[in-house]
Amino acid sequence: MSGRSVFVHGPSLEDYGFGEGHPFNPIRLRLTVDLCEASGLLEGYEPAEPNPATEADLLTVHSLTYIRLVQQASRGEGNVSDMRDYGIGTPDNPVTPHVHDACARVVGAVLGAYRLVMAGEAAHAMCISGGLHHALRSQASGFCFYNDAGVAIARMKEEHPGIRIAYVDTDAHHGDGVQWMFYEDPDVLTVSMHESGRYLFPGTGGIEEWGRNGGVGYSVNAPLEPYTVDGSWISCFDALVPEALRAFGPDIIISQNGCDGHALDPLTHLSATTRLYEHVPRVIHDLAHELCGGRWVATGGGGYDIWRVVPRAWTALWATLSHQELPEKVSRAWLAEWGRQSPVELPYLMRDDPADYPAVDRASTIAERNRRTTEAVLERVMPLISPG
Amino acid sequence: MLLVRDSMSREVIAITPETTAAQALALCRERRIRHLPVIDGERLVGIVSDRDLRSATPALGDPQRTSELERIRASEVMTRDPVTTIPDEPIESAANMMRERWIGCLPVVEDGDLVGVITSSDVMEALVFLVGAHEPGSRFEVVVPDRPGTLAGAAGIFGELGINIVSVAMGARREEMPDGSPGRAVVFRVDTVNPGEAAEVLEQAGYRVLWPPAAPV
Repeated sequence: MSGRSVFVHGPSLEDYGFGEGHPFNPIRLRLTVDLCEASGLLEGYEPAEPNPATEADLLTVHSLTYIRLVQQASRGEGNVSDMRDYGIGTPDNPVTPHVHDACARVVGAVLGAYRLVMAGEAAHAMCISGGLHHALRSQASGFCFYNDAGVAIARMKEEHPGIRIAYVDTDAHHGDGVQWMFYEDPDVLTVSMHESGRYLFPGTGGIEEWGRNGGVGYSVNAPLEPYTVDGSWISCFDALVPEALRAFGPDIIISQNGCDGHALDPLTHLSATTRLYEHVPRVIHDLAHELCGGRWVATGGGGYDIWRVVPRAWTALWATLSHQELPEKVSRAWLAEWGRQSPVELPYLMRDDPADYPAVDRASTIAERNRRTTEAVLERVMPLISPG
Repeated sequence: MLLVRDSMSREVIAITPETTAAQALALCRERRIRHLPVIDGERLVGIVSDRDLRSATPALGDPQRTSELERIRASEVMTRDPVTTIPDEPIESAANMMRERWIGCLPVVEDGDLVGVITSSDVMEALVFLVGAHEPGSRFEVVVPDRPGTLAGAAGIFGELGINIVSVAMGARREEMPDGSPGRAVVFRVDTVNPGEAAEVLEQAGYRVLWPPAAPV
């Protein structure tokens, strides 16, 4: 239960985002880093800021045409209607100056994180700017231009032939981009738990999306009902993730730790609290030690209650990843600094008080449906996974 | 769009009237299908389901089973003159034919020749493509007043916000508008991860948004 942990971050990673008035506002990264720092959790942890991803890195999973269009858009050039066909310049994925460079830095940070881990310089690495799991081969989607986990996994496969990679995605939205990139690959297990696509973007992630050809069984999806609470979510997670990872036997785990399944999140309809966002990293941490010598890279992802939820959820992630105790209270210095700017009242405890989250209507029906989904995955998909 | 030809399988696994029950059952098992059209040359003469074959042959364990399976021919158990469809039939009428007659597979015939088959799974797939998620998108369920132009009005709101519509389904089901006047439910799939603003604008414009719900405060 030890090993060095690295916090991969730098101010330039906060350039990727779409600013005021757009849900994907990079201030959420600043708020999180500040909260980690103010909580004393960064003492002795010098943040590592790696190099940007190169064009060759991006080409491992993106098409050249698409990369060229993003570069053009980034310089304020190019034909608007051509770009829209590639998801560029839509309300979700607006073009900001230098969006190519900003996103390539995020990809580079996740590449750097995994290289530190694979080189044995760190057991665990966290990069909260990463987690852009919707980016597709030739399409910007859901706030994501380039797919950091996709590039990192593709590079890992080149640099470490035969490596087996487990990708675990607990963002409220289905991890579609990463899934499709490795849909036929039995050396990459993608596990995504998310709000059902019937109710939430991107609409995919049903259990029957279990991979294709040689990759059958290596895409695991557990769509959860809207308004799922911690208890039901945690029991589904505990029933599926350890079993899937043990059956697969990874050499490294990459987790996408989007925290937009929180009850306060404005974009989704799940009803989790910080309890879930402490539980998930704890289980992944223990699995990393049990199965793959501790090798674990954690990324951020969605999370659109940027004041009350994101900073606390990802500080809890860092505390687990760096084997430190999460303080009970939110730092007073942090509250003083950000309280005035926040449009909402900031919480003063690091963990949500269950009393503030009243029971959800039909909770037992929802839990029952999630239980059936979990059983169906255990019955139909899990037997298809085998250790290399 | 939405014709039988768009959803049917063109590579049909067919048998002849002389095919034995043993061969036919083996085909069903290997190809994981339940219906085999029976052809004489190119002409469709019947259809056999795995159930027809099983009920015509002795049960597993019966000592007669193997020899019976070899003896019985498709021509003895097939349904003659089966219900068929044509490539240009709208898929909903083919689906309705299957639903009313409790059948899971229709041979598709053109000028008497078998050109394909369409099964209930193909119809389901067409439905999934119609309202389903093959491109990233968010689902909206909106009630519009039951008057000319209101669907265009709701669709126009997405247009003004720069949000592309991926699919639309509007059914015969009646819903009430907030003031009790008649309305119809429409399901839109639209290309955005952030449906909140569009939902708000639709509500302000007088439409009733059943999904997504208002964001928590």
